[in-house]
Amino acid sequence: MDFLNLAFWTFVASTAGIYAIFALGLYVQFSMAGLPNFGHVAFMAIGAYTMAILVVRYSVSLPVASMAGIAAAIVLALILGIPSLRLRADYLAIATVAGGEIVRYLAMNLPDLTGGPIGSIGLLGPGQIALYNGGWQRSLDELTTALSAVIGAAANRDLTMALMVWSIVLVLIVLFRRLERSPWGRVLKGIREDEMAVTAVGKNVFAFKLQALMLGAVLGAAAGLLLALQIGVFSPDDYQPTLTFYAYLILILGGMNRLWAIPVGAVVFSLLYAGTRFLNFFPLSLIDSGSRAFLRLFLVGFLLVLFMAVRPQGMLGNRRELLLEK
Amino acid sequence: MTPLLLEVDGVSKHFGGVAAVDDASFGVTEGVITALIGPNGAGKTTMFNLISGFMRPDCGTIRFAGRRIDGARGDVVARAGLVRAFQTARVLTRMSVLENMLLAAKDQPGERLGMNLIAPRRVARRESEVHARALELLDLVRLRHLADDYAGTLSGGQRKLLELGRALMVAPRMILLDEPMAGVAPVLAQQLLDHIQQLRQRHGATVCVIEHDMDVVMSISDRVIVMDEGRVIAEGPPDAIQRDERVIEAYLGRQGHADESQRGRPA
Repeated sequence: MDFLNLAFWTFVASTAGIYAIFALGLYVQFSMAGLPNFGHVAFMAIGAYTMAILVVRYSVSLPVASMAGIAAAIVLALILGIPSLRLRADYLAIATVAGGEIVRYLAMNLPDLTGGPIGSIGLLGPGQIALYNGGWQRSLDELTTALSAVIGAAANRDLTMALMVWSIVLVLIVLFRRLERSPWGRVLKGIREDEMAVTAVGKNVFAFKLQALMLGAVLGAAAGLLLALQIGVFSPDDYQPTLTFYAYLILILGGMNRLWAIPVGAVVFSLLYAGTRFLNFFPLSLIDSGSRAFLRLFLVGFLLVLFMAVRPQGMLGNRRELLLEK
Repeated sequence: MTPLLLEVDGVSKHFGGVAAVDDASFGVTEGVITALIGPNGAGKTTMFNLISGFMRPDCGTIRFAGRRIDGARGDVVARAGLVRAFQTARVLTRMSVLENMLLAAKDQPGERLGMNLIAPRRVARRESEVHARALELLDLVRLRHLADDYAGTLSGGQRKLLELGRALMVAPRMILLDEPMAGVAPVLAQQLLDHIQQLRQRHGATVCVIEHDMDVVMSISDRVIVMDEGRVIAEGPPDAIQRDERVIEAYLGRQGHADESQRGRPA
């Protein structure tokens, strides 16, 4: 494929925006409230599965099914959070790692409900191809027609999607910037620093942590819905734990506690991730393309280590704040 | 007699086989500075944890302003008007000194997520009140010049002052201070002492303080409660406590000669 393929990079731009929304969910939980969520991908999976099952099996309209997907993620957050959030942070970490894998394994092993290992395409059972995003494609086409009235022939479905996703990202960032500076955000930040001190001044720490977990779940599910709708098909394998760590990488690349660093981190990550396919020059061309695809995983790991060692505050973070001891 | 603001009645707390607090009972009168003293391991900090809702008593009742608070969560106790400070000051290091103060404000509608979106004006109005109060209290504890610094850059003594100021932001009826002078430079310690006395004189606050320095105990407290091995062994005005046989035996006698335990300070 040509390096300067516009359609390809438009698609990457959409994905980057979706990753930004996904990472924003983790930001609320981890950066704002200090909750270590290592199963963020579960919210993505449960959102996408709920939506697809309702649309395909029960002919529910897409907006309603999407709402249900988000509601399912909130329920999952409550199931994971209520027993573990009263305990030390480590317990949430354990619960979320397990929760993420449980969701994936359930999707894999309940073929009657989820389509099993082949994923959404098998939702109607063998012999029939199930599609859940027909309604989505039609609305995208309508939007594209509207867009072509403005920018002419350059308009296409992928561009519409990219513009839409990045508008959502922008709105969310502005909204969360406000929330972060609100008294609510201040209490979360306090909890991140020292729960006991926050309890001692009369705040119900558990309630705040649960809210942060739920809000992060909503964003995770929203990202899951967008990604499922963009790609049009998904399977349990798309919700590997590595996805959660991509979200961490995005936060770390940009700078842990900087909201504006999330879109930057998401773009850099997506460029690296999608860009590795162009590493087809000598001497890398000696490796066959299948193995070369794994280079991106090495690269992701290497960057995480490099950033942690050399620039722990990320590209835009504040080193001074980071180095203050607790 | 004035009614008791805090009543502790028959409270016990065991850790495994050890009774950290053993059938302890005492009362604290409103508007009075009470010192809680006793040798190491007497159960003073455990007592504070029980009163402030950070631990649940195994048995017994604790009443604050007539309301039962034993077994209540720490934040519920704090909102009821009983606020504690910790032995090692717990400041929020990666937040500014001012933010530390603002965080503690009561009745901020903006602490509800949705309020920031549906009633931003109400939130902003309360925020400006809270802001003014925070600066006032930072003046009181003489940290205003550091308002915008990270709390993590403060010295140990300054952290104790900040914690005191932060506790006052909650507008408490009673405040529990766990060794407020420990690890504090002498100049700051004197300031802290002044603040504690001012709290009562100006604001009518009730203070209960754990303190090891007998000079401090005798000079600031109106009443002294002595604990030993989990039990309350004496309770009374400071001069009577100083002469109490049981106290001398338990508290001073155990550590050797009285003058030695005072490290040369005049009793």
